Amino acid sequence: MPLLSSILLTPAITLIILLLMPQKAVRGIRLICAFSGLLTCLLSLQLWMGYDPTTGGIQFEEIIPWVAAIGISYHLGVDGFGVILVMLNAIVYFTGVLTMWDLEDRVKEYFAFMVLLVIGVFGVFMSLDLFFFFFFYEIAVVPMYPLILIWGSGNRAYAGMKLMLFLLAGSALLFPGLLAIYHHAGLNTFDLIALSAHTFDPQFQIFVYPFLYIGFGVLAGLFPFHGWSPTGHVAAPSAVSMLHAGVLMKLGAFGILTVGIRLLPEGAAYWAPTFVVLAVIGIIYGAFVAMRQTDFKFVIGFSSVSHMGIVLLGLNLAILGPVVIDALNGAVFQMFAHGIMTALFFSTAGYIYDKSHSKTIGDFGGLGKQMPRAVSIFIVAGLCGAGLPGLASFWAELLVFLAALKTYPIAGVIVILGLVLTAVYILRVFNLAFFGAPNPKWENLKAQDMSGLHLIPRAILIAVLVIFGFVPRLMLDLINSTTVAFLGNF
Amino acid sequence: MENAILFAPETICLIMGLVLFFCTVLNWSYATTRGIAIAAGIAMIAACLWTLPLEGEPFFPGIYAVDFFSQLIKTALAIGFLFVVIASANPLTVDRNGWLEVPLFFIFSTLGMMMMVSATELLTLYVAMELAAYPVYIVVALHRNADIGGESAAKYMVQGMAASAISLYGMSFLFGTFGSTYFSAISIPQATAQPIFYLGLLLTLAGFFFKLGAFPFNFWAPDTYETAPHPVITFIATVSKIAAIGILCRLLSLAMPGGWESGHAQTALMWASVIAMSLGNLAALAQKDLKRLLGYSTIAHAGYVLLALQTFAEWGLTAALFYAIGYFAMSFACFLVICEIGRSEDRITINAVSGLYKRAPFLSFTLLIGLFGLIGLPPTVGFVGKWFLFSAALQRGQFYLVLIAAINAAVALYYYLLIIRQLYWVEPSTQNTIKPTPLIAITAMATIILVIAMGTLPGPFWDMAARAARALIS
Repeated sequence: MPLLSSILLTPAITLIILLLMPQKAVRGIRLICAFSGLLTCLLSLQLWMGYDPTTGGIQFEEIIPWVAAIGISYHLGVDGFGVILVMLNAIVYFTGVLTMWDLEDRVKEYFAFMVLLVIGVFGVFMSLDLFFFFFFYEIAVVPMYPLILIWGSGNRAYAGMKLMLFLLAGSALLFPGLLAIYHHAGLNTFDLIALSAHTFDPQFQIFVYPFLYIGFGVLAGLFPFHGWSPTGHVAAPSAVSMLHAGVLMKLGAFGILTVGIRLLPEGAAYWAPTFVVLAVIGIIYGAFVAMRQTDFKFVIGFSSVSHMGIVLLGLNLAILGPVVIDALNGAVFQMFAHGIMTALFFSTAGYIYDKSHSKTIGDFGGLGKQMPRAVSIFIVAGLCGAGLPGLASFWAELLVFLAALKTYPIAGVIVILGLVLTAVYILRVFNLAFFGAPNPKWENLKAQDMSGLHLIPRAILIAVLVIFGFVPRLMLDLINSTTVAFLGNF
Repeated sequence: MENAILFAPETICLIMGLVLFFCTVLNWSYATTRGIAIAAGIAMIAACLWTLPLEGEPFFPGIYAVDFFSQLIKTALAIGFLFVVIASANPLTVDRNGWLEVPLFFIFSTLGMMMMVSATELLTLYVAMELAAYPVYIVVALHRNADIGGESAAKYMVQGMAASAISLYGMSFLFGTFGSTYFSAISIPQATAQPIFYLGLLLTLAGFFFKLGAFPFNFWAPDTYETAPHPVITFIATVSKIAAIGILCRLLSLAMPGGWESGHAQTALMWASVIAMSLGNLAALAQKDLKRLLGYSTIAHAGYVLLALQTFAEWGLTAALFYAIGYFAMSFACFLVICEIGRSEDRITINAVSGLYKRAPFLSFTLLIGLFGLIGLPPTVGFVGKWFLFSAALQRGQFYLVLIAAINAAVALYYYLLIIRQLYWVEPSTQNTIKPTPLIAITAMATIILVIAMGTLPGPFWDMAARAARALIS
């Protein structure tokens, strides 16, 4: 069986097995999911190793005609970006399952919805057909509502509804945008590769591009359409926040890159200055709002808005020419690094919440002495968010900021200022919650610090951050091979 | 003999209708009657499948045509009839004295619809349309609570008759223009350029707009949906929609040669579509009654279908036919559950499905799939169907129209999600579990499979719809 289909079918088969399993077989369900997560990780590793960066471009292609009459085909394939993001999803899937090991409530349904989400995400990263791209994109969104509603916490009915309405409003912009591309090209195919060979009329590009950018951008946490993201992340259970902030938001950025920029480069170039401004506002705004939050998860939620702003900034800068090839490299690297980092953040914040049932920063104080392991892990994630050298985010952010300084010096200076703000809000959390005099209320947590199984998923995530922090070339060579080919097209 | 074969589905339908009539005369038990009706449904499906590849004009050349289009729709109608009869296992909301009449009137209405989609002459069409309508007028009134039944039947019947009168008026225009009631004479390209042709056509559509619940003949839908007995509204919401969309395709195909270019009818249909979807979705937001909510949602879906039909293109017809079958499945999934959970309730509020997850896991999953379909989420047919419908409009470059439709679909999300929230999150008000009979469970399973199969493997279904659309145009 072809490699990409195997990766896609692993969770699909898992889903079918899950549905057939009895409700009570909780242990079996967990084991199957963990096995399936591990298998996708291994297959993704095989994909990474098998991808040949010297040739670059799309590899591992598979085509099966689906609705031949109107040119829909099941067309899979990955370029360097896809390889990285497939890997990201596999890692977050596996560690997400491990993070939710202690779940007791409606276990079967929980994992069924989560696996459905994973299928959607894999599908998007591999699809080279507009129909299937959108099909999987929507599949990834669907399970969010039940996941937040049933297993979430706090104001979950509100958060789930808000999230769905925002995301489907984004899809409402994509519907006419994607279909207009198909009909305007007149090639009777939804195939992305065939469509990318077609040169669209500049007027058309300028008209349609914002629909795609904003439509996908909603999912990527684009300012000012980010409102769903912090509330959604806060209400969702840990592993869902991990997948959501870690991977799902990347779908939006990936959509902009692989559909918007690839098909409509002139439209993208026309709008880039405007969207650079929005991205910069997003970075600064997210950081400022994060500074004022009293809730752990809200801090992380707004930091995601800020960090995804860096991805969007990088994408927009990249359109402005091969001079800023670094910008695209940085943006894709940031997608990966932010994905792993946020997963670590939410996984740990979720753990602290599960044990203490409090998310309020001010409630703690000196938690570092009570839960040293959990807190240390949180600190690693925080330092990564602040862009500490030696962790993956550093390189990603550096590349984007350098590109920004080269093209828009003012924007560059502002976003570097944003980095300082990031350090401020993260250190604020450390200071208020982790260091200082321990709150006697939480003495009971001493016995409940992370141990054994809890440490495995977090250790994996940290290891990934450190590996790519010290050896960024592993990642950059792969990205760069695709970036050059990608930007060379226009 | 060949004619008899071509006419087999209708013949079986008629004969079985007469058998069901004897059941009522002999006052057999409801279970027996329903069993006969189920057998009738299976026989009809078999006959339809048998005649699916056949073509011809049995008995009355020029008046009655059997082609892939008509047989495809008839197959869907037969399946719909079977499913609705299965769903009416316990029609407690129907007046006890009228139970036996329910399958009887369903089968005669189905017969009317079958003849309607084969009719290629105006008066035949009209007679078939009335045959399809009258039995339903009667069963709508058969509510066990005479007040409720009276209200819904009055609204449904008065508006239905007004719509059919308008249809008849429109047919007189068509006859006046062409001097013939034969479709073959009407669809002459040169003559179709006249504005009076479009006026006549639009007026003729009225009766079928009524069945579909499309603007401006939508006003019965919320009231009748709310108050009609559950099995009856299931029939109206599923089977008659297939026939309505089918016959709209047939009539609009007459105007295909110049329909888009002249713009006369296209503008009117486009506005009907926009108003229907906006009105349906906005009104549905405020509903507390589940059936009433679905009544408004059906108006919105009529708007989506019109979006494709107003393009006067082959793609549009194909998309509409595809959606007709898909909509049948999604809608049936919802109403099957309503029939089951509301066996003895006159009205079903949204609160009535609270915590259904705990009381009836499988039924609540069925409803979930139906609602996902109506929202338009993959992997259900709702997503693919909308993709095709919207695509038809964009083929004509109607970017903003599709944008409006897509925004409408996003608005609709809100009220559907509220139902899902009740299903899976809110605690049940009673602990009574509902256990569907095996037959109903199998039917629910078949519906779910149809919804998912059309959503994930749309290829064969699209090809069938395309073949049917081509049969109309040629």
